[in-house]
Amino acid sequence: MRGPLLAAAGGAMGGAGGPLARTIRAKLTAALQPTHLEVRDDSPHHGGPPGAETHFGVLVVSGRFTGLPLLQRHRLVHEALRAELAGPLHALQVIARTPQQWQSDPRVPPAPPCLGGSKRERRRG
Amino acid sequence: MSAAVRAGWRIGAAAAALRGRAGRPLSQAAGEGSGAEGGGGSGSREAVERLVREHPVVVFMKGSPAQPLCGFSNAVVQILRLHGVEDYRAHDVLQDPDLRQGIKNYSNWPTIPQVYLNGEFVGGCDILLQMHQNGDLVEELKKLGIRSALLDAEKDQEKK
Repeated sequence: MRGPLLAAAGGAMGGAGGPLARTIRAKLTAALQPTHLEVRDDSPHHGGPPGAETHFGVLVVSGRFTGLPLLQRHRLVHEALRAELAGPLHALQVIARTPQQWQSDPRVPPAPPCLGGSKRERRRG
Repeated sequence: MSAAVRAGWRIGAAAAALRGRAGRPLSQAAGEGSGAEGGGGSGSREAVERLVREHPVVVFMKGSPAQPLCGFSNAVVQILRLHGVEDYRAHDVLQDPDLRQGIKNYSNWPTIPQVYLNGEFVGGCDILLQMHQNGDLVEELKKLGIRSALLDAEKDQEKK
């Protein structure tokens, strides 16, 4: 699925997904109290086996981001997912907007296509 | 392994444990903290610091600009190319596991690619894309004395 996250929101993305997807959703909800949150599992597009849960994209809309530059917003997201990023979560696309930004621009770029990089390395233990 | 080397290993490991970093590779332990051991490999703070300062635009990526091996790394290369930035330093972390970990420690950022402008960490591919889209990248390049090619493209448009 390459389309905008919005298209996927009503379908498989809503609340379901594997254990890591659920963990990501729960941790981001707890840490950032988002007004809107989408968690997309891109792993199937990166050559992993089904259910690999290694590459994710998250769209987080939260008032916590107000006044923060992009770098700090992304660091907040990383902090919430510190354990996962040290473990199975291999790649994470992050879109972090304030509610005002999300209202004025609900478009989301798709994830870049895989170029096979992860196939060429050993999985981290 | 000789006794002297073994002793050195134990001392290094003990020192690492004191710093609360037991279990991490010795080369990293040596590179952190006071750095008194004199720099511990390509992933040490000192080594990374030298790399990020060697050029106004430095990228840590998977693969090379000619052949990126990861979609996110490729996105960074393509964005820089759009702005006419072809002269920059790119480091392939897939070639150097110490650097791969070292750059993440240095910036306290968990993923690759990483973009540094004037020695300062700017972000990964998501941030670079947003900076490209909102005009910030043109401004940041200008501060480095680099004129974005997009400015010339706009000028051409205006002439028509």
